[in-house]
Amino acid sequence: MSSELDSGSQLGVLYYCPCSGCMRTTDAPVKASKQKREFAELAEECRAPLDISTQEQLAVLRTWPIEKLYYCDDCSEVRCPHCVIEEPAGYHCPNCTFDVPTASVRSEKNSCARNCFHCPVCTHVLVVVVVESTQGDGGQSCSVLSCAVCMWDSREIGWEFETSTGISAQIERMRTGGPAVKEYASLLDYWRTVQRTASATAAGNHGLTSSASFKHRLTSAGLHGSTTSVDNLPPYKAACYVDSGAELTEDFKALEDANMIPFNGDPRTKEPQRVRLHMKLSRRCRMCHHILIKPESKAHNSRFKIQLLAANFLPTITFPKTLPAPKARGSLLEHLNTTPLRVGSTAPVVLRFTNPLYTEMDVSVDVGELDAAQTDVLAPRFTLPPFAELWEYDEDEDDSSLASPSASSSGRGSVKRGIIHQHGNQIAIQLDVTPRAQTQKLTIPLCITCTHLDDMAEMDTSDTSTPRRIVNTFWAYVSLGMVN
Amino acid sequence: MGRLHLAPQALVCKNTILEGDIRIGNGTVVHIDASIIAKNGPIIIGSNNIISDRVRIINNHTTPLVIGDNNQIETDAVIEGRGIGHKNVVQVRGKVVGTSTLGNNCVVGVMCETEPAENVPDNTILFGNPQSRRTRSDNNAEYLEVHNKHLQYVHEMLPRYNAIIGAE
Repeated sequence: MSSELDSGSQLGVLYYCPCSGCMRTTDAPVKASKQKREFAELAEECRAPLDISTQEQLAVLRTWPIEKLYYCDDCSEVRCPHCVIEEPAGYHCPNCTFDVPTASVRSEKNSCARNCFHCPVCTHVLVVVVVESTQGDGGQSCSVLSCAVCMWDSREIGWEFETSTGISAQIERMRTGGPAVKEYASLLDYWRTVQRTASATAAGNHGLTSSASFKHRLTSAGLHGSTTSVDNLPPYKAACYVDSGAELTEDFKALEDANMIPFNGDPRTKEPQRVRLHMKLSRRCRMCHHILIKPESKAHNSRFKIQLLAANFLPTITFPKTLPAPKARGSLLEHLNTTPLRVGSTAPVVLRFTNPLYTEMDVSVDVGELDAAQTDVLAPRFTLPPFAELWEYDEDEDDSSLASPSASSSGRGSVKRGIIHQHGNQIAIQLDVTPRAQTQKLTIPLCITCTHLDDMAEMDTSDTSTPRRIVNTFWAYVSLGMVN
Repeated sequence: MGRLHLAPQALVCKNTILEGDIRIGNGTVVHIDASIIAKNGPIIIGSNNIISDRVRIINNHTTPLVIGDNNQIETDAVIEGRGIGHKNVVQVRGKVVGTSTLGNNCVVGVMCETEPAENVPDNTILFGNPQSRRTRSDNNAEYLEVHNKHLQYVHEMLPRYNAIIGAE
């Protein structure tokens, strides 16, 4: 039982994207002939004398489950997350879901400008509550930031606010009202006046305004004897700070002793941090800059305006556990893909292909060279019917059972060998896998070529009578789990 | 042996499991599906507590398990220690295990536990995953106001929808 569970959890299909992951924007979109060449190159790559473990290790960087892949319908190519360009489509606060306009993002330093803060103790989001004030004579209500998880309060750092909205603005006002900031502002004003006076008097001489030559001009300006010379300016009077008479210390510490000096830490770490904004990203094809993914820019809306996914253009390959049998047989095809793999014995593996398109798709499956196992694809070429409403489908054709692959069916026409089941836009085919070596994870490379007719008319060409054929070739790595 | 003594204003639902020697004070509410099992020793519950649904208060010790006043014990919590003080909150699935006690004004956070044998000092907050603790710096002044409103509401609404044990 446990081996069944193990092999079941290791079954998977990964799709390979042949991009190199670098910016190749000068490349033209790939045409059909180039695809054939790429296919030949890829086939060569696969037949190169690399053992499967090295190949696997290299390919893992470029293999993705189909849910992660995009598809550019302009280039008719698969795009992976490495070969798309991401750009922001909107900014919002994850806490208050407020959509922040792009202009405010920069000015607010990528943080929420409203009441969203993280608790300094437990990093949970803080809530504004109205409490009794500890300052004054009590009984006055004020707003504080409080954490519901660790019961931290902004009263612990002395933050109490008058109103419950616009906390960020009130914090800014608190910060700018401190004595250090006031002192700095008045110092700046004083020296600006000095500079103006000095440059006014020295304007005739040099016209220099560099601060390095300040001292020189201050001393020399007095020689000109103008009424508003710098020497006549009153000296600077401290706005807030009082000279405490402290002296410079003679006690210098060596650099190695620096660890012994107690460090109280940045006081800002005890303060609540603003919540950082989140971005919504839209993605473009790296080659033709066609938009592949475009989300709605509103935060609460999780839909997409444009959504070009690989699963909507390429067949999805899955491992079915059971398949519903047609009404004629009345039974259920069960216990598919549960045979444990052993060296030397042939196990049937069932893969189900699902066609997402509204047109027919011709699929051909080829196996890459593999030393670890021999794979026979019993049905190398088949046609997937288009996706349509359920009542439009014809009667199912349940073909060759697993016991007798060459039996002809009792129903209609000749049956394709190797097709286990066909329903709607899905076909399940059988592969016979004979492992040759023991391994933890057996992976079979399959080269899959899908061809379909483009049902949308070409914009440029005036000739709309011949729709173009689109051929997509990709490698899929099918993991089958452990081989005993 | 099972003596249940309910104060006149205590509100205990009928669909609870009450076993052993239990005394419940005035104003205390015991919601549905709570179990108060005085296995080896008595359980004494003070006044104005709110004991939510699925709470398990089990006394495995022979000494009494004493719960003070104005506590709030939320859903699925477990009290197995020797007792708790006043104005505590044991949040959802919080546990007071072993022989531990809680002081006053403590908060046992969601899915947090005390150590198996510790006397948690007053004003302690257990929170987080991985669990850590800190001491609250406010005096829990705003707790009673909200707690009393909660009590008032429950006393009004609970009897309308649940069968209540008549007080003796």
